[in-house]
Amino acid sequence: MGAFEYRQAEEIRDRFGRHGVRYLFIGKSGAILLGFPDTTQDADLFVERSAENCRAVVAALRELGFALNSEQTAEIERGKDFIQLKNGPFDLDLVYAPDGIERFEEAWQRHLEVEGFPVCHLDDIIASKAAANRARDREVLPRLRSFREYWLRHRGQ
Amino acid sequence: MARMDETGSGKTPSADWASEIPQQWLEEFEAAARRSLRTRFHYAFIHTYKPVLDDAPFRAFDTMADYRRWCEENLPDWLGYGRV
Repeated sequence: MGAFEYRQAEEIRDRFGRHGVRYLFIGKSGAILLGFPDTTQDADLFVERSAENCRAVVAALRELGFALNSEQTAEIERGKDFIQLKNGPFDLDLVYAPDGIERFEEAWQRHLEVEGFPVCHLDDIIASKAAANRARDREVLPRLRSFREYWLRHRGQ
Repeated sequence: MARMDETGSGKTPSADWASEIPQQWLEEFEAAARRSLRTRFHYAFIHTYKPVLDDAPFRAFDTMADYRRWCEENLPDWLGYGRV
């Protein structure tokens, strides 16, 4: 398994878009899309938990090349809070209930698009990491908050 | 996304907010803003083997609390997945 590549992000964007999946890049991969210079290993997607959306996610993942058996398909369609996929062309985390964000719709209202990629607002990414409060989150938060100051001013807000 | 050059001067800003950001970080933010998204991806995504975490092709957790607990009970501390 190699590193996640831009073309694979494009494939997610295009396949998910074709199936009408409502999702947002979140976590450090989302921050990187917004311009945050750091490293990470895989992409995290915040997915809207509705029956229709979950079925669309499965269809899109299959087209992307993820090998899902019936049990795994059922778990995605049920919208379990956290799903870790390492059975496809790249690693992917599906998060249906990220810490620190109450509802998908609220994050959707604040989201941004970067080259067609739907991305959580940086405030939501920070809120999620602050609420998760893992050692790895604590480590990145000061720099992420500094980036927020830089980013907000350069977006003209 | 707006880039540094789009502020007009193309120089390091002198506003107070900028002085609150450590200089090294500010330089990194500005350098990243000059790169294309494709290039940022190339530098940002790496892959290293993470013990235990990478050893199953699929995992699903009913709740985030379950996932956090599993991380704390199964992953090495040095991976940083434990709650503080």
